[in-house]
Amino acid sequence: MNIAVCLKQTPDTETRVQIAGDGVSVLEDDVQWIINPYDEAAVEAALRLTEAHGGEVTVFSLGPPRVEKALREALAMGAHRAVRLHADAVPADPRVTARALTAALRDGGFDLILAGQQAVDDDQAQTPQRIAQALDFACVTNVEELTVEGGRGAARRVLEGVQEVSSFPLPAVLGVNLRLNEPRYPSFKGIMQAKRKPIDVIEAELAEPKLVVERLAYPPEKAAGRVFEGVEAVPEVVRLLHEEAKVI
Amino acid sequence: MLSIAEKVLFAIAVMGSASLAYRGFSNVVKVIRRGTGEPLKVDLDRFFRALGQWIIMKPIWKTRTLADVFHVMIAWGFVFYFLVNLGDVLQGYFPVQFLGAGAVGVAYRFLADVFSVSVLVGMVWFLLRRFALGSRRQLVIRENVKVMEAARAGGITRDSVIVGVFILAHVGFRFLGETFTLAQERLHTGHGDPGQPFAHAVSGLWEGLDESALVVGQHVSWWLALGLILAFVPYFPYSKHFHLIMSGVNFLVKPDRPSLGALDPVDFEDEALEQIGVARIEDLPRKHLIDAYACIMCNRCQDACPAYVTGKELSPAALEVNKRYYLNLNLAALAAGEASAETMLDFALSESALWACTTCGACVDICPVGNEPMFDLLHLRRHQVLMESAFPQELQPAFRGMERNGNPWNRSAADRMAWAEGRSVPTIDENPDAELLWWVGCAPSYDPRAQRTAQALAKVMNAAGVRFAVLGGRESCTGDSARRAGNEYLFYERAQANIETLNEVAPKRIVTTCPHCLHTLGKEYAAMGGAYEVIHHTQLLAELAAAGKLDLPGGEASGAVTFHDPCYLGRHNGVVDEPREVLDALRLPVVEMPRHGTKSFCCGAGGAQMWKEEEPGAAAVNATRFDEAAATGAQTLAVGCPFCLTMMDDASKAAGEGMAVKDVVEIVAERLGDRA
Ligand code: SF4
Ligand code: SF4
Repeated sequence: MNIAVCLKQTPDTETRVQIAGDGVSVLEDDVQWIINPYDEAAVEAALRLTEAHGGEVTVFSLGPPRVEKALREALAMGAHRAVRLHADAVPADPRVTARALTAALRDGGFDLILAGQQAVDDDQAQTPQRIAQALDFACVTNVEELTVEGGRGAARRVLEGVQEVSSFPLPAVLGVNLRLNEPRYPSFKGIMQAKRKPIDVIEAELAEPKLVVERLAYPPEKAAGRVFEGVEAVPEVVRLLHEEAKVI
Repeated sequence: MLSIAEKVLFAIAVMGSASLAYRGFSNVVKVIRRGTGEPLKVDLDRFFRALGQWIIMKPIWKTRTLADVFHVMIAWGFVFYFLVNLGDVLQGYFPVQFLGAGAVGVAYRFLADVFSVSVLVGMVWFLLRRFALGSRRQLVIRENVKVMEAARAGGITRDSVIVGVFILAHVGFRFLGETFTLAQERLHTGHGDPGQPFAHAVSGLWEGLDESALVVGQHVSWWLALGLILAFVPYFPYSKHFHLIMSGVNFLVKPDRPSLGALDPVDFEDEALEQIGVARIEDLPRKHLIDAYACIMCNRCQDACPAYVTGKELSPAALEVNKRYYLNLNLAALAAGEASAETMLDFALSESALWACTTCGACVDICPVGNEPMFDLLHLRRHQVLMESAFPQELQPAFRGMERNGNPWNRSAADRMAWAEGRSVPTIDENPDAELLWWVGCAPSYDPRAQRTAQALAKVMNAAGVRFAVLGGRESCTGDSARRAGNEYLFYERAQANIETLNEVAPKRIVTTCPHCLHTLGKEYAAMGGAYEVIHHTQLLAELAAAGKLDLPGGEASGAVTFHDPCYLGRHNGVVDEPREVLDALRLPVVEMPRHGTKSFCCGAGGAQMWKEEEPGAAAVNATRFDEAAATGAQTLAVGCPFCLTMMDDASKAAGEGMAVKDVVEIVAERLGDRA
């Protein structure tokens, strides 16, 4: 079984985002880059499936050379090959990203295409759906349990008040969430092997974006928390929770 | 003198014994040589140092005084017996009196007589201890600890009985032989040899026996005394009595480490690097193979081990015992170069045991024969993390945090100075002429409780006029937790980055808030190209107090304080007086816990335990230590480490004892009041 995983390199979730001078992008200087945690779960899922059923895992990422670090990390986890779709910058329009990925995936003969359901930096959550649409494959998102048997897959999703299990024929495209698994920590052996695995670089087919980011701004400062002391304060706290916070 | 027939027979027996023994001894040498690491280096200086240690047995005198006294009675006697046996063989073959009739001979015979009795008395005590005295319980290893079948099922007991009976019989018969000799002398001269008081007294029993009976007695005793040696020697390398030699070898080859727990770095630049850490016994460094042979199975390390004492599956003694039994059972195959069939996690210890170690170093400190069980555990962890990626899940976020954000809390590096907001804490860029670089550390930077320690130290240094600076955003985790959790690669990366920063800053002196930083920066970076003078904040405080720079007002008379020595401050770095000097300078009455100074008992956080759940056991390490502190009746429990602070604070809250837990510097800062 051959699996493709699409992954995005995102800033670490602890990064203090700094808006660049152009007002529409973020400064990349002090950014600690990581594999988007949702995509990391997708890599882990792909590795577990190939460990159980055989086959190879190929990881794809779209972006400038810096994204190779993320690909390298996936290789260290155990992915077999890596492909970087070269672009000078990561597109802001998910449609452009999905089309470039689709073009690279189309003839790969993959049984399964996995991706995180969203990226922690832009939270667009469109890539798996758009790829599935373009390839006319089944698509499940928000997957938190996954099994494959005899050419069919089954995915469990937790919805409001119920759990749903759906099945689908392969090939398929899945968007996974963080509850799917605990991604492995690469061993030193893995890191060393990853250094020896090649990363293929191909030019990304970039469509004209339809979506344009107009402006980035910092969110409004959160008001400082308020501390109340003593039992006497309880009525006031209740009033504020009701009238201002509107939570009770 | 022996008859011709006896002489021939004894010579044949010697050759038989030697050829049997040769196999065993040479196999042991081959197995040890299979170990990894640098070839063991020995020079004359070391030789005499080791010889001295071996003879005076200095490392022994730390606990169990009674056993130590009896041990010395046997050990010195037994060593003297090398001479005695030589003399007896010579006297058997030649018509001489060994060392003559002069003063030397008289002294020799007197000593031989006294040592014979001291060995016999000592040995009887040890056998009683094993089977009858209450302290025999020290020799038991709890059921939940992995112990190889061969050792558990009476193996250690059998070995001990064999060794004990051998010593009793060997020395006993030699002594009897002397009594028969003296009785014969009396027949001829009318008196024996009062210069051998004990043998002389016992020889009175043979009054009335005729000469031929005495001669028979003398010969039978000679044969039994020396024949037993010949019978025992081939068994010697398999028995724990081997410690007699191997402890000396251990003293001889033990590396001069910068501290008792400083690890050797791994060269990750080495392209050929394939095996890191230890999976199988033959992967162990040579020194740690020798440990298994030197171990006398006394369980002192086990008694000192916070993991064992609180009911975990770990016993450092069991680890050494299992290594030894595994080597014994597979000696020939291992000596022939075969790979061992099992990994150490199969036979030597469980996974839970491996992850229970707090790296407190107590086992290394206490061992009378210079063993270092903690090192085995760290080598095993290295393999588990770097080769197998098999480690407690909870460690992963800490690893990720150190890797990505330079701190195990995985908090943004941009927040490193948040604790100092609104305070006068210059960075090295702002104050390049600082006389002291303050390495704040991750816990004091990020942990809300430990931040108060950092704030207190800033206040005290400012009040005392210390010209200091911090690295601010350029500081990042030293990697101690990673290293002690087995993630040597992550440690290596952190160390490289920090050494680069520090070498650029080139500080005159570094002060750390945390003993773990003190240890890593001061004792471990040097091997990787970063040698610095590093002190702990309690050392700085003691210095300031001695120089009269801490202008401490009298303050109200507060209650007694007990000081918990952090493992990485006291045992690993030998800093035990300074924190107490500071408390003295505050005129606070200090009451000591039973286990203090270098014998302190761990808080439970070291060895990356801070980042994971405690392994299953009977009690929590921190609660056990806190109870000891509470029992002193002190009002305040003083610490000198942010991890100890967390552990003791938690335990104090859980116990609801109302005992205040504070870092020493917090106590000092309180005394300064609002003046600074
Ligand atoms: S270092 Fe401490 S916790 Fe670890 S085995 Fe030794 S005594 Fe036990
Ligand atoms: S390792 Fe040392 S302290 Fe522990 S049982 Fe062996 S000899 Fe005793």
